[in-house]
Amino acid sequence: MDEMGEMAGALPERLAADLDQGFAELVQAQATGIRTYLLRLTGATAEAEDLTQDTFLRAYVALQNYSPARRRALRPRAWLMSIATNVWRNDIRNKSRRPVSAGRVEGAGDIWPDDRPGPDERALTSADRKVLVDALVQLPERYRVAIVLRHVAGMSYAEIAEVQDCPVGTVKAQVSRGLTGLRALLIPQEQSSKEVTM
Amino acid sequence: MNKEHGGDAAEWHDAAMADSLSELADPAPSEQAPADFALSILRRAGVPPRAYDVYALLDAPGGGLYVASDGTMLTCAALGIVTPGPEDFEAYYRARTGRTAVRTTIAPTGVRTALRTGRAKQLSLDLSPLSASEQAALAVVRTIPRGQMRPVSWIAREATLPDRAAVVAAVLRNPLQLIIPCHRVAYDNGRPCDTAYGPAVSDELRAAEGIEADHLDSLARQHTLYLGSDTTRIYCHPTCAHARRITTLHQVPFRSAHSARQAGYRPCKSCRPAAA
Repeated sequence: MDEMGEMAGALPERLAADLDQGFAELVQAQATGIRTYLLRLTGATAEAEDLTQDTFLRAYVALQNYSPARRRALRPRAWLMSIATNVWRNDIRNKSRRPVSAGRVEGAGDIWPDDRPGPDERALTSADRKVLVDALVQLPERYRVAIVLRHVAGMSYAEIAEVQDCPVGTVKAQVSRGLTGLRALLIPQEQSSKEVTM
Repeated sequence: MNKEHGGDAAEWHDAAMADSLSELADPAPSEQAPADFALSILRRAGVPPRAYDVYALLDAPGGGLYVASDGTMLTCAALGIVTPGPEDFEAYYRARTGRTAVRTTIAPTGVRTALRTGRAKQLSLDLSPLSASEQAALAVVRTIPRGQMRPVSWIAREATLPDRAAVVAAVLRNPLQLIIPCHRVAYDNGRPCDTAYGPAVSDELRAAEGIEADHLDSLARQHTLYLGSDTTRIYCHPTCAHARRITTLHQVPFRSAHSARQAGYRPCKSCRPAAA
C-alpha cells in the first residue's frame, strides 16, 4: 500500500536535481494514492480525479518556487496529502456544500445495540462496502480526513499530525471520534436491513 | 451489562471497523482510475513532455507488448511475460533508462502495423544506451525477415563482428523485444537461441509467424543447416523464402556451406548463407 517503498529516499533527491523529470516520477508514484484518498473523502470518482489533478498542479507550481534544498527535504506523500486535503476543503467551501451536522453524529452514541455482530461476521461484501463508503462521506470534514488518513491510507498518527499541522493528541482524538461517528452512522442501517430480511 | 464489558465490546468493534476501512484502500473494479490518469495529470500541470516518456500496452503473442517512446523514437519494448503488469514495466523502464514512462492509450505511430505484419524495419529505434557492437548486431537482427531464422555466425559476419559471443550478448540485452526479432536468431547448429525470453514464449512468437518448432527440430536433428535445389543449384538457409519453395523431390540437404560449394552449388543472394 505504501508506494514510496524503496524510492522514499531517492525521489526528493531527483526532484532537487531535475524538477520536471522528478515530478513525472512523483506523479507516477503517488497519483493512485492521492486519488484513492480523495475518492474516500468525496465518494465520487470524477470529483476525486479533478481534485487529484488540482492537487498535482498546485504541487508543481509550489515546487517551482522551492529551493533545491527544500525539495530535497520533502516527504512527498505527507506533503501531497496535505495539499490534497486543502484542495478538497477549498472545493467544499467553493461549492458551499455542507456535511451532515455534527449534532446527529455525537448524539448517536446512545443507540448502540448490545447484540452487535462479531468481527468474523463482518466480511466486506460489495453491499457492505457501499454502506461504508456512503457513511464515510457523511462524517464531518475533520473526522473524515483523520479516519481516511489513518485507516484507509494507513498513515501513522505522527504522519497525520504533519499533514494536518496539529498535535498528535488531536489526531488521535479525531480518529477516535470519527470511528464513534462512523459506528453511529452504520448501526441504524444494519438494524433496518436486518428487520427487512427477517 | 457492566461497564468493563461494554468497553471491550467497543474496542473490538473499532478493530473490525478499522479492518473494513483498510479494505477501501484498494479501489473497487468500478472505481478504477483511467489507464492514462498519470499522463492527464502531467498534461494538466503543464510539465514539458520531454521530461517523461510514454508507453502503451499492445496485443501481441507472449502476453502483450509494452512499447515505450520518447516522442520521436521507440526506447523500450517488453513482453507481458517479462513484465506482467504496468507497475512491473514502469520499474523495468526506470531501471533500464533512468527515466519515467507514463501510460498512454495511444500506440506509437507504426507499431501496431509493425506487430501485425511482422515488419518493423521502418520504425526508428533508440539504441544509444548500447555499445557499438551490440548496436551493429541488433541492426542485423532487424533485417531477418518474418518467418525466417538466421544463425549467430551469419549475424556476426553481416555485422562484421569478430565473434559470436558478442551476438549472443547483444540478443540478451535486446531493449526492444519483438520489435527487434531476437526469436529469429538460431545457434549455428540450427537450434533457436532463446536466451532473451525463454523457449516457450519464443516458440509461440515463431509459430505466430509460421515457423514450426517441430520443423526446426527435425532439421537440427538431421544436421541440415542449408537446403539446396538440384534444379537451380542454389543453396539457402532452410527457412529462406526461396528454400521453402523447393519441392520435396528436388530438396538437397547440406550440413555445411563447404559441402554445398563442393557439390557445385552457389549461395542464395537473398539469404546469403556464405559471403558471396
